[in-house]
Amino acid sequence: MSRKICLFASAILALFSAQAIGVGAEDFYKGKTITFVVGFAAGGGFDTYTRMIARHFGKHVPGNPSTVVENMTGAGSLVAANHIFNKADADGLTIGNWIGPLVLQHILGNPAAKFDGRGFGWLGVPTPDSGVCALTAASGIKSPEDWLNSKRPIKIGATGPGSTTDDVPKLLREALKLPIQVVEGYKGTARIRLAAEAGEIDGGCWAWQSIKPTWAKGVESGKVHIVLQSMLESHSELKHVPLAAKYAKSEEARDLLKVADGPYGVLARPYSVPPKTPKERLEILQKAFMATTKDAELLAEARKAKLDFTPVDGPTVAKLVNELYDLKPAVKDRLKKIILPKK
Amino acid sequence: MVEMLEAFTEGLFLVFAWKTFSLMLVGIAVGFAVGILPGLGGPVTLALMLPFIFKMQPVEAFGFLLGMSSVTATTGDITSILFGIPGEAITASTIVDGHPMAKKGEAGRALGAALMSSLVGAIFGAFCLAIAIPIVRPLVLSITSPEVFMLAMLGITFLASLSGEAVIKGLGAAALGLMFATVGLDPISGIERYTFGTLYLWDGLRLVPATLGLFAIPEIIEMAVKGTSIAEAQVGRLGGVLEGVKDTFRHWKLVLRCSALGAYIGVIPGMGGSISQWLAYAHAVQSSPNKERFGKGAVEGVLGPGAANNSTLGGAMIPTIAFGVPGSVVMAILLGAFIIQGLVPGPPMLIPEREGGHLTLTFSFVWIVVVSNIITVAICFLFLSQIAKITYVRGSLVIPFILLLVYLGGFAENNAFEDLLVVLFFGVLGWIMVQLDWSRPPLVLGLVLGPLAENNLFLATDNYGLGWLKFRSVLFILGLIVIGTLFPLFQRWRENKNRPEPLPGQEPKKPVPVSPWAPVFGVALALVFAWALWQGRDWLFRTRLFPWAIGIPGLALVFMQLVLDVSGLFKGRGAGLAERRDERAALVRRRTTAISGWIIGYFLTLWLLGFSLGVLLMTFLYLKLAGREPWSITLALTLFAWISFYGIFGYGLHVPFPKGLLLQWLGV
Repeated sequence: MSRKICLFASAILALFSAQAIGVGAEDFYKGKTITFVVGFAAGGGFDTYTRMIARHFGKHVPGNPSTVVENMTGAGSLVAANHIFNKADADGLTIGNWIGPLVLQHILGNPAAKFDGRGFGWLGVPTPDSGVCALTAASGIKSPEDWLNSKRPIKIGATGPGSTTDDVPKLLREALKLPIQVVEGYKGTARIRLAAEAGEIDGGCWAWQSIKPTWAKGVESGKVHIVLQSMLESHSELKHVPLAAKYAKSEEARDLLKVADGPYGVLARPYSVPPKTPKERLEILQKAFMATTKDAELLAEARKAKLDFTPVDGPTVAKLVNELYDLKPAVKDRLKKIILPKK
Repeated sequence: MVEMLEAFTEGLFLVFAWKTFSLMLVGIAVGFAVGILPGLGGPVTLALMLPFIFKMQPVEAFGFLLGMSSVTATTGDITSILFGIPGEAITASTIVDGHPMAKKGEAGRALGAALMSSLVGAIFGAFCLAIAIPIVRPLVLSITSPEVFMLAMLGITFLASLSGEAVIKGLGAAALGLMFATVGLDPISGIERYTFGTLYLWDGLRLVPATLGLFAIPEIIEMAVKGTSIAEAQVGRLGGVLEGVKDTFRHWKLVLRCSALGAYIGVIPGMGGSISQWLAYAHAVQSSPNKERFGKGAVEGVLGPGAANNSTLGGAMIPTIAFGVPGSVVMAILLGAFIIQGLVPGPPMLIPEREGGHLTLTFSFVWIVVVSNIITVAICFLFLSQIAKITYVRGSLVIPFILLLVYLGGFAENNAFEDLLVVLFFGVLGWIMVQLDWSRPPLVLGLVLGPLAENNLFLATDNYGLGWLKFRSVLFILGLIVIGTLFPLFQRWRENKNRPEPLPGQEPKKPVPVSPWAPVFGVALALVFAWALWQGRDWLFRTRLFPWAIGIPGLALVFMQLVLDVSGLFKGRGAGLAERRDERAALVRRRTTAISGWIIGYFLTLWLLGFSLGVLLMTFLYLKLAGREPWSITLALTLFAWISFYGIFGYGLHVPFPKGLLLQWLGV
């Protein structure tokens, strides 16, 4: 008798738990909307990538949710990162896309970074970034030599501390003694481009992967020159552009360029969900992210739009972020002086 | 040039995508009714409609909003002519000759003339916009951050200085709006400003709940206080419509001149339809050989304003789209819609789509204005006499629906219940501002342009230090700002000087009595500014720059106004008190208290019972108790309100409504 009851009970339990799992997966996303929160303005690289990913993402999530993209600009996407960590519901319906090296701001102790990089659920990165500096023809700078010999500081447009656009030129200034004035506060690379074209600044340093689809016209027409690569290795399409490492005179300078290569490269454009998002939903989203970056329709669109897709998966991103937290104290102190906001 | 033409034609196709087109029809229907209903104006309705656009694509959103706002000036004329009360603030001038025509039995002719000239004006204005786009483009694309900052200041000061007679109050309100815009995480380094430690305020004060509170709540109170049905006069037979249409073409030169005038006035920031209509009327009088006919039913007096108040919209959109400087209240709210849609006015609006811009979208605006006006005028001609009956709707029937829209709209934008508190806060502020004669549009504009202004002020300073203050372009705009601020003051001084001596037996004009509450409000504002400045003392320079740059002049302005109020209070001592005792004042007070009770009660009910139950209960209670409607109307309208609420927000938009607090306690 008691055995029967036991069996009956466990059958009911199994039924319930099966249902619970069901709710956690397919049923949960059915009829829901996933919101992508992009930390930069529409029309820049982050926005372009996210809009393309969002268009195809729903197909790869069980239940086929719809997707919307929201631009939450401010402080070089720090506002978006803070929002995802603290405010967004951890229900697997909000995905953040802010610039990865912001994690350094937390590690270096910027009080405005109100998150811990180790807490996010990481979905992956669509492509590692290859940093370059693009200057307008009007700036008169065509080569690193021109730049090094420039009498005036070259004005580089930037978004906010912690972004590639800010930190990479600051690292280059330190490592190569390039005359640079970083002008901060643009809402994204789309605005930096417009300001450069209006002659307000001379150009900017950010990912070739973003410049290629969004500033193609400028580069092709010769109005914009790709002057320098900040990475340690050349991008396959940029063999003719000098590497910054060539101009590094000391070991210390090379160390700084290594930093510019790391978090500003592989980790530059990660997608993440708030801490405490249910594990099974995180896994669904991680799988969906990788599947989306290999989606045939997306890749066809990407070719037309000149977007690179060489994805890095979520667990790898999580591992790399955790490793950043083991930065040596000496390097930390040096970085603090270079990339934390001072005034 | 080819890409311009391409974008221009593609813009037309965008409008006829079925979803855009049907949303535009909805917008037209709303604007149609709003235009006719006096007391419910275009800006208020635009604010009420903002929350709906979140799930729409940009072109759909603007089809909806522009479709709505471009027809209010047309249907507003109908009310002005038939009843002698303005359907919209911008159709007031149509009354002067339109209503006498109606009284003479020429209502049909007046309406025909108003409708046809409106159509001509609207199309003219829209094409001004289309032509302006390629012309202003090079100018806009070479604009730099110091100039953007100065243009934002120009728009704000113009709007402030034209808002009534009190320039200082207008500027003070603008500064207050700019200060409100700094609440939240600072956009340059992410430091918290004025958040009181709450996560809610990280994102700042949201535009939609603030606009709803500022405009809709005082409107509801005013409607309830007036308490009458909207129109009392009777409409006779409407004949001679065709004659009015013919009049439009008989006076085609006048219509075109007034259209041009309207579009031109629209372009000037801070001036809008409420000014252009009167200038057009003045022009119609001045250009006519027999001036004595005017005011007694001259058709030219209808044609001029009819064309001008419609063409103003197209003109006003030029600076809004190209520079982010809105020319009017409607444009200020529309600018909010741009921000909601992630569109930044300025260069990106004038660059083709494949270069990351929105040129086609911009051209589609032109077509939306044209198409929606054609549709509206056609419908008006077909159903003229039925339309006139809408004005009999009682205020008490409309109020519960507006309240519903206010709270739903405030909530649904962000699905945050705290937003309703923001609605109430700005509602109280808006009501006080109306009572004490502070104009609200500069405040909204400050809130809208604050982030843009801050961003560009910082960029200018980071780039050029203080050097940007010496730029020639900056000095030029500064000159315009100074002229724009001083000109109304100068004008008033001249008017006072030229005013004829009072005739014997006629009392000299007394100074306007100052409310004893004015200094209280002034002190409160001064304290807010002082506190905000004090809070910034430990921040990084970049975080503090804008709040201080705005807060210091803000405090000075508020203080100046305070001094004026106090001295005015002593001069006109007792002048205001006598009126306060009469019966009417008591009635106003009683009704204000009652409607305030309903507004707050509605909020509390939603909080305690949740939306589904709360909406049902409060709509029913208001109609039955406050409106004293019969059971049949009460039940039918309650059901209608609830179904449309549930259909649109619950079922259509999947808005996750929170459970009522009471229900949570009971564990239901």
